[in-house]
Amino acid sequence: MKIKFKIKRYDPHSPDRRKSYMQAYDIEAVEGMSVLEGLLKISEQLDTTLVFRKSCRSAICGSCAMTINGRSKLACNTQILPLQKKHGEVVIEPLENHKVLKDLLVDMTDFWHKLEKITPYLTPPEDVDTERVQITKEDTYAIDDAQKCIMCGSCNGACNALEIDKHYTAPAALAKSWRFVGDVREGESNKRLMRLSEDHGVWSCVRCGHCTEYCPKHVKPLTCIERLRDRAIDSGHTDNMGARHVNAMVDSVRKIGRLDEAAMMFKTLGFIRSLGMIPLGLKMQLHGKMPGIMLFPTIDGIDEVKAIYQARNEDKVRERLAREKKEKE
Amino acid sequence: MSLKYAYYPGCASQEITKESDRSMRKVAAALGIELHEMPGANCCGAGLLTDYDHDMMLSMNARIFCQAEEMGMDILTICSTCLMVMCSAQQELKNDPEKLKQINGYLEKAGLHYKGTVEIKQLMWVLIDEYGMDELKKRVVKPLTRLKVAPFYGCHSLRPSEVLGYDDPDKPHSLEAAIKALGAEPVEYSGKTRCCGFQVDLVAHDVAVEMTGTRLLDAKGASADCIVTPCPLCHINMDSYQSIAEKELSKDIDLPVLHLSQLIGIALGLKESDLGLSRNLVSPERILR
Repeated sequence: MKIKFKIKRYDPHSPDRRKSYMQAYDIEAVEGMSVLEGLLKISEQLDTTLVFRKSCRSAICGSCAMTINGRSKLACNTQILPLQKKHGEVVIEPLENHKVLKDLLVDMTDFWHKLEKITPYLTPPEDVDTERVQITKEDTYAIDDAQKCIMCGSCNGACNALEIDKHYTAPAALAKSWRFVGDVREGESNKRLMRLSEDHGVWSCVRCGHCTEYCPKHVKPLTCIERLRDRAIDSGHTDNMGARHVNAMVDSVRKIGRLDEAAMMFKTLGFIRSLGMIPLGLKMQLHGKMPGIMLFPTIDGIDEVKAIYQARNEDKVRERLAREKKEKE
Repeated sequence: MSLKYAYYPGCASQEITKESDRSMRKVAAALGIELHEMPGANCCGAGLLTDYDHDMMLSMNARIFCQAEEMGMDILTICSTCLMVMCSAQQELKNDPEKLKQINGYLEKAGLHYKGTVEIKQLMWVLIDEYGMDELKKRVVKPLTRLKVAPFYGCHSLRPSEVLGYDDPDKPHSLEAAIKALGAEPVEYSGKTRCCGFQVDLVAHDVAVEMTGTRLLDAKGASADCIVTPCPLCHINMDSYQSIAEKELSKDIDLPVLHLSQLIGIALGLKESDLGLSRNLVSPERILR
C-alpha cells in the first residue's frame, strides 16, 4: 500500500531554511512494517539528507523516540498501517520539549542533565554489604516497573508540566528517583526525598498522565511520582506547598468527608499568599462562585469515614515502622 | 428504556462550579435520565489521597462504591478527576482479590462490605453508549448551527487509557460526537487532549496559569467560538482563571467556556437560569444568539 509520510524538516545550517517545514514522501508499506523501517527506506532510497537517531530496532536501546501523529512513540515499535488507518495520514515530528538539532534529531543534553542531578545510582550505607541484604519478592515488585526504563525520553517529550516549566525534574528522572528511593539497599533515601520536595521536584507534576500513557516500556512514571510523594510526606518533608496541599485534603476528608475549598487554600498557601487571591475571589463572588468562608456541611455518616481512616492509618504506621526497622538492619 | 444512576457530582460541582451540577440535573430531567442521590458520599480524594497513601484512597473510594452497590446502580459522575480516581480504584479492587480483602478489612470497622461490582461512567459515555446519539438529536430544539466548539477533554477523561478504557487518547471521539449531535461544529486544535494545569493551581500557580492560557489561545487560534469541557476542574481554570491568564500572557482571550451539560442544555432549549450561565465568568452571551 502506498503511504505518504509527512516529516518535519529542520536544518540550522541552511541559510534559506532557518525555519522548519513539512516534507512529504511516498513509500510502499506492507503489513507489519514499522515507522522506523519507513524512515530507513526514505533515507536509503529517496532522500539521504533526512536525519534521525536509531540503533537496535527492537525497542531496547531507546534511540528512536519521536512524535508520531502528535504523540511520543518509538519509531521501531509503531506500525505504519494501523497509524494510517487511525489518522488517515502519517505525520512525524521530533520529540517535543527538546531542542531540535536537525530534522528528527533532538539534543538530549537536558535529559541527561536532569538524570545526573538525581544521582542515578545506588548509594548504600557504607557499612552495609549490599550483596548480603535479604530482598523479598515484594521489595523487587515495588521498583520492578521503574527498572524497565530504557531512557528514550518519550515521557519527557509528552510531559505537559515540562512544556511550561523547563526546570521541572520531569518524569524520566522522577521514575529513576523512585527506582532508588524504593530500593531496600539504598542509604540516601531521606536526602533524595528532601531534594525532590524542593521547587521543580515531585510537587510540580500536573498529573496529566501523558508519561504513563506514552511510556513504551510501561514504567508508569506517574505512579512512581505518587509513591515518592507518599514517601516524602511519610519521611517528614512537609514544609512545602505540595505536601501541605495533600495534608489539607486528607484533613478535610477525615473531618467533614468532603473538600473544604477555602481551608485547602489557606493551609496550602499560608495567610500572606492567600491575600493575593482576594482580587480573583471578589470577581468570582460577583458570579456567586467564591468558595464559602462559611463552614462546609459535614457529610452524613462521617463516623464511617473516621473509622475507615483510623483503621487504614494504623496499618500505614505499622508498615512504616516495619520499613524503618528493615532499613536499620 | 429507563436509565438510572447513582449520581456523584463531586466536591467542585457542589460548590465552586454549582452550575455544572444544576445544569446536569436539568438536562437529565429533560432527557429522562434518572439521577439518584448518594447522600453521605465522601470525596474521592482527587488524586491527592493517593499522594498521602494509596490504600487510603482505595478505602475511601470503596466506601463510595458500597453505597452505589447497595442502591443497585452504576455511578455517573460529572467530574473527570473523580472519574479517573474512581475508575482506577475500581479496577484495582476488581482485579486484585487480595487487595479487596485488605480494604474490606478497613471497611468492616464501619460496618461496610464491598463486593466489587460497581461501574463508573461519565456523561459522554452514557450519552453515546446507553442513551444514543440519535435519541439526543431528536431532543434538540435549538440546534447550535454554525457554532464552532473546541472540545477540551481534560486529562482524566482520557488517561490512563488502561484504566478509563473508553476514548482512544490518541484520537478521542466522544466529545466531538456530542458536539455534532447538538448541531455544532467541533474544532480541531492541538490543546484538545492536553492539560489545563489545575492540579498545580495552588502549588505552582504561574505554571498553571501559563498552561491554561496556552490551551485557551490554541483554541482561539483555531477560530473556536467557545470551549466545552466535561470536567469542572478544567472549567475552573479555563473560565475563572481566564482573566489572570490574559494578564500573565498579555493577550486578549475572551473565550466562553461551557460545561458539557450547559452546552447540551442550550441545544435542548432549557432556560438560561436553569443552566447557571450567569455563573460563568466569561459571558457566554454571544453564543446564545
